[in-house]
Amino acid sequence: MSTTVSLLPYQTSLVQSIMDPSSSEMVLIARGLGLRTVLCTLLKIYNAPSNLVLLMNASQDEENGIGSLLGLMGVRNPGLRIVSYEMNRRERRELYKQGGIISVTSRILVGDMLLDDIPRELITGLLVLHAEKITPTSLEAFIVRLYREKNKAGFLKAFSDQPEQITHGLFPLRTIMKELQLRKTHIYPRFHEEVQESLERRKADVVELHQPMTELMHDIHESIILCMGATLSELKRSNTTLDLDDFSVENAYFRMFDAIVRKQLDPVWHKVGPKTKQLVGDLTTLRNLLAFLLSYDALALHTYLESIVHSNTVSSVTGEKRTNQSPWLFLEAADVMLKAARRRCYISTDAFRAGTVAPQTLGDDDDEWAALDEELGTVGDDTGKKKKWLPHGMEPVLEELPKWPLLVEVLQEIEQTMIDHPLPPQSTASDVVLVMTSSQRTCDQLREYLGTMNPSLPMGQQGRRMMERRLREYLHWKSRLNERNNPGGAKSKQGGGGGGAGAEKDGDVLSEAMKRKDAAKANRAANRRRVRGGAPAPSQRSAPGGREEGAMSQAGEMMDESDSVATFLSTQGAFQAEDLTLADDQALEELRRLVAATQGELPDVDEEEQFYGLVSPEQTIIIRAYSDDADDLLLAEIRPRFIVMFEPNQEFIRRVEVYRSLSPGLAVRVYFMLYEKSAEEVKYLTGLRKEKDAFERLIKERGSMLLPLGENDRPSRGDLMIKQLSTRMAGGGKVIETTPPQVIVDAREFGSSLPGLLHAAGVNIIPVTLTVGDYILSPDMCVERKSVPDLVASLNNGRLYTQCELMSAHYKQPILLIEFEEYKAFSLEIVSEVKSYAKGGKYPKKQQPKANDDSISITAIQSKLVLLTLSFPRLRIIWSSSPYESADSFKDLKANQPEPDPVKAITVGAEDGDVAGGATNTAAEDLLRAIPGITAKNVKHVMSKVRSVRELCELELSGVQDILGIEPGKLCWEFLHKGEKS
Amino acid sequence: VVVQSTGSGNSILRGNPVLEHIRNVAKEWADIVPDFQVGRTTCALFLSLKYHRLHPEYVHQRIQKLGNMYNLRILLVHCDITEHQDTLRELTKMCLINNITIIVAWSAEECALYLSTYKVYEYKPPDAIRERVDKDHMSILRAALTSIRSVNKTDVTTLKTTFSSFAGVAKATQDQLVKCPGIGQTKARRIKDAFDRPFQNRP
Repeated sequence: MSTTVSLLPYQTSLVQSIMDPSSSEMVLIARGLGLRTVLCTLLKIYNAPSNLVLLMNASQDEENGIGSLLGLMGVRNPGLRIVSYEMNRRERRELYKQGGIISVTSRILVGDMLLDDIPRELITGLLVLHAEKITPTSLEAFIVRLYREKNKAGFLKAFSDQPEQITHGLFPLRTIMKELQLRKTHIYPRFHEEVQESLERRKADVVELHQPMTELMHDIHESIILCMGATLSELKRSNTTLDLDDFSVENAYFRMFDAIVRKQLDPVWHKVGPKTKQLVGDLTTLRNLLAFLLSYDALALHTYLESIVHSNTVSSVTGEKRTNQSPWLFLEAADVMLKAARRRCYISTDAFRAGTVAPQTLGDDDDEWAALDEELGTVGDDTGKKKKWLPHGMEPVLEELPKWPLLVEVLQEIEQTMIDHPLPPQSTASDVVLVMTSSQRTCDQLREYLGTMNPSLPMGQQGRRMMERRLREYLHWKSRLNERNNPGGAKSKQGGGGGGAGAEKDGDVLSEAMKRKDAAKANRAANRRRVRGGAPAPSQRSAPGGREEGAMSQAGEMMDESDSVATFLSTQGAFQAEDLTLADDQALEELRRLVAATQGELPDVDEEEQFYGLVSPEQTIIIRAYSDDADDLLLAEIRPRFIVMFEPNQEFIRRVEVYRSLSPGLAVRVYFMLYEKSAEEVKYLTGLRKEKDAFERLIKERGSMLLPLGENDRPSRGDLMIKQLSTRMAGGGKVIETTPPQVIVDAREFGSSLPGLLHAAGVNIIPVTLTVGDYILSPDMCVERKSVPDLVASLNNGRLYTQCELMSAHYKQPILLIEFEEYKAFSLEIVSEVKSYAKGGKYPKKQQPKANDDSISITAIQSKLVLLTLSFPRLRIIWSSSPYESADSFKDLKANQPEPDPVKAITVGAEDGDVAGGATNTAAEDLLRAIPGITAKNVKHVMSKVRSVRELCELELSGVQDILGIEPGKLCWEFLHKGEKS
Repeated sequence: VVVQSTGSGNSILRGNPVLEHIRNVAKEWADIVPDFQVGRTTCALFLSLKYHRLHPEYVHQRIQKLGNMYNLRILLVHCDITEHQDTLRELTKMCLINNITIIVAWSAEECALYLSTYKVYEYKPPDAIRERVDKDHMSILRAALTSIRSVNKTDVTTLKTTFSSFAGVAKATQDQLVKCPGIGQTKARRIKDAFDRPFQNRP
C-alpha cells in the first residue's frame, strides 16, 4: 500500500514544536484531531537503531494501530516492537540493546528498570500516552523518577486526548506535570485558532436525521429515567452527609459518572452498607440499559432484562451473601419497562398463558392493544402461514429499531445520488458507503439486517426474517433459563440436609426457597388471585398494596412462561427442533443469496479485501464500528464519498473534518442519525459541552500555573539509617553505611503504589516473584499487604488464612499490613452500624449461632480479625493510614535489622517447577483459584501442569484427578462440566 | 468471662468507658498483670492514644511488667487523636520487638466489641476465615466468573444460560461472547484473557 500520511497545517506546527529531542513537554489534544498521526510522525523522526525510544501506556489496540500506521509511513524492519509479558528477561534485555522504538507496559518496565535490565542512562526518550491517568502514586510517576535518577538528558513527551479526565486534586494539570517532571504544555482543543483555520476552509455537507423512537421504546426510555431518578434519590437519602450535587440524571448518562460517585463515596466506601453499593451498581446497569435500548434489537433487550430479573431472584435461592435485590426492580416504572420490552417482542394470548396466568389486559388497555394488534396484524402471516415452531398462543410482534428502515432509506437515496452524479473517472474517491456504528455488535446486527431484509414488505417489517430467527434463539434460551432454575432449587435442598456448621444458615435459605416454591404453586393453583395480588396489570397501578410487588412479580410470571416454553419445546422433541433449525438456516441462506442477487447494491461486505475484487466498488457498503484513532486510517484508505453515522460520535465528526481537509476536491456527504429526545441525544450534546469546559479549565490553569524550580531534584540520601553494626568492627564505633536499605518486593505488588513510595523514601527495591508474602524486610520479617477491600475479600474467601499459614511456617515474624487509602477515612466499619445489621434484622441470614447476644456477628471484619489473631498468635499487624505511612513504617522496622536475601526469599515456599521471575496472568490465576478443589496450596502445582484455565476445562475426569487427586479432582471436574448435556 | 485487672480493689481501669460497653460476656475482677484477660492464653492491654501522648512511658512499664506471659498478647489501641501516624508507627515497632499484636479501634464501643469477641471466640475454630467448599454450584460459579474484572452477576446468568457450563464458557469464542446481551468487546476480551492466556510464560 502506498498511502502517504499527510498532515494538516496545525498538525505540522504541533510536530515542529515538540520535535526537539532535548526538550520535554506534554500535549493535550482534542479527540479526533489526529493524535496518532502526530505521534507516528514523531516516532518516525526518532526511529533509528542508535536511539532507544520507549512508548508507554499504549493499549493493545493502540500498539497494533501505531505499529501498522508506522509501517505505512515506511518505518519497517523493525518498526515498532512490542514487549509482551510472554517475553522473558533475557529476550527483553536483548531487545533493549538493539534500540529503536519499543512499546512496553509500565509494569514490565518498572521491573526492568529496577533490575537494571534496561540501561536507564542510554534511553533516548520516553513517550507516555494517556497522561491523564497519572497520579502521584501511579506506576508511571515511579518510572519517571527512576528514569530521571540516571538520565537527565533524555526527553519525555506525554500525550493525552482526554482532558475531561484530568481532575485529580486541586491543580490537576500541575499534579501531572510535576509527576512527569515537565514544564511545558501544548493544548490543542477544537477551538484552537490554528485548528479552526485548518479545518474551516471547507464546510461540511452534513445531513442530520432525527429519528423519533417508537412509542414502546419511548415508554421504556421514560421508565429507565424514572428508575434512575429513584435510585439516585435513594442514594442521596441513604448518604445524607455527602455532597451529592453532581448526582443528577443528566450526569448519570456518562461512564464517568461511576467515577464521580466513587470519588464522593470513597472516603466512606468500606463503611457504606451493601445497600449503597447495590445502588451504585444499579445505576451502572440502568445506564447500560439506556444505551442498549437504542442499540439492541427488541429481543436482545428483552433477554437482557429477563437476565437481570432472573439473577436478582435467584441470588436469594442460592444463599449468596448479598440477598437484597435492586430496589429499582420494585418500582412501578420497572414493571412498565419489562412489559413494554415484552410487548416489543411478542404478545402472549390467553391460550398461551392458560396454564399459568389469567388474562390481564383489562379495560381500555385492551382496546389499545387490539388496535396495535390490528396494526401489526398482517405481520403474523407475512409468509401466509403461521410458523409452526411458535408456541401456541404466542403472537410475535417483533418491533424493529426505527433506525433500520431509516438506514435503508438513506442507502436508497445514496444509490440515487450515485446514479445521478457519477464519480469523475480521475477522482481518487470511491463510491463506497461507509456506515459507522458504535459497536461491533451493532455492526453485525446491521449486516444481518441488510443481508436478510425483504424489501417488498412495508417499512418497519423488512427485517422480519432476522427477527424471527432471533425469536427462535430466544425461545431456546428461555427454556434453558428454566432448566437451570430447577436443579438450582434441588441443590439447595440437599445442602440444607447435609450442612454442618452452617446448617442454620442453609435452613434459612431452604425455607426461603420452599416458601417461594409454595407461593408459586399457590399462585398457579389460584391464578385469579395472583393477578389481583401483584401481577402487573395496568389496573393495579392505583392499588396501594400492589405497588411494592412491582417488577418482581414479573419474575414469577417469567418463570411460568419459560415453563410453558420449555414444555412446548420438549413436546416438539429435540431432534425435530434441531432439524427445524437446520431447515430454517438453509432457507435463510437461500434467501440471503436471493437478496444478494436482486438487491445488488446491498450485499453485506466483510472486511476481507478479496471481496473488493468480487463486487464492484460502486456497490459496496462497509459497516464498521468506531475505533478511535484507527478510523483516520480507515477513512484515508477507503476514501468514501458517503458516510452514514448510525450513532453520533463527536470524535468521528472531527475525523471526517480532518479527512475532508486532507483531500481537497472530494465532496463528502455525511448522514448523521440521532434518536430524538433520547439518551443518545443528551449524551452527545453534554459530551460536547463537557469537553469544551474541560479544555477551558485547563487553559486557565496553565495560565496561572506555578511550577517551583528545582523541586524535581531528588532529595539527597542524607537520612540514611544506621544499620546493624558488626561487633567485630574495631572499637564498635558507629559507622554509617552508604548502601541504601533493601526490601524484596513481590513482582505482583507493582500494581500498588507502595513500591514506588518505598523507592522515593530511599529504599532499594528488589523485584522478584515471591511465593510467600508480598514484602520481605529482613530475613525474619515478612509482610503481607492488604488494602481494606482486599482484607475484607480475602478474609471472606479464606485466602488470607492460607497466606498467614504460609508466612508463619517460613518466617519468624509474619506481619499483616492493613493499608487504608489516602484521602479515605482511617477506620473500619463503625460499630453501631455493625450492630444495626444484627438488630434490625435486615440481614437475617448473616447471623450465626452466637453466644448470648446479637452484637457479635461473624460478618464484621473485626470478628474475623479476632479469629485470625487467635489462630496466629505470632502474627503482627501494622495499621497504616496511607501508602506513605506504610513506607515510613517499613523504614522504621528495618532499622537495625540485617538485609534480606533475595535468593533465599524466592525459594521460600516455592515448589519444584515454579517459574521464578516470570510475570503471571493474574486474572487467570484468580479464576483458577475460584474453582472448587483448587486451593492456595495446590494452585501453583496446577499452574505448572496446565497452561491455561481452558486447558484445564478440556481435560478428562481422569486427567483432572491426576493433577488434583481423586476427591478434589472429581469435585473440580464436576463443577467445570455441570449443566452440560452428555 | 472477662477478667479485670485490679490492684487491691483499685482498678487502673476505673471509669474507663470501655467497661460499660462490654456487654455479651460477664465481667470478673481479679488481680492480674494485664488489663484484660480474655482467654486462657490471651491477654490485652488497653491504651488510649490521648493518654499515651501525655504519658509515653506508661505503656512501656506495663509491657515490661507483662514479661513473657500469655501466648497471644494484644495491645488494644483506642485511636482518639487525629495525628496518629507517628505514634502508631512507634507503637508498631515496639510491639514487634515485644511480641505484641496491635489492634486499633476507633471508639470505646469498638474496643469493647473486640474484647468480648476475643472471649466469645476463644475456642472457636477458624472455619469462618478458611477457604470453604460447601457452597452450591451457582454461587461458586458466580464467585469464579465475577473474579474476572467487570463481569457482574447478570453476566454470569447470561453466560451460564448461553454456554451451559463453566467448560462451555471456556470454549466460547470471542464472537460468541460478544453476541451475549450485556457483554461488549472489552468484557469479552477480558473473559477470553482469563480463560485462554497461559498462567505464566515458560522460559
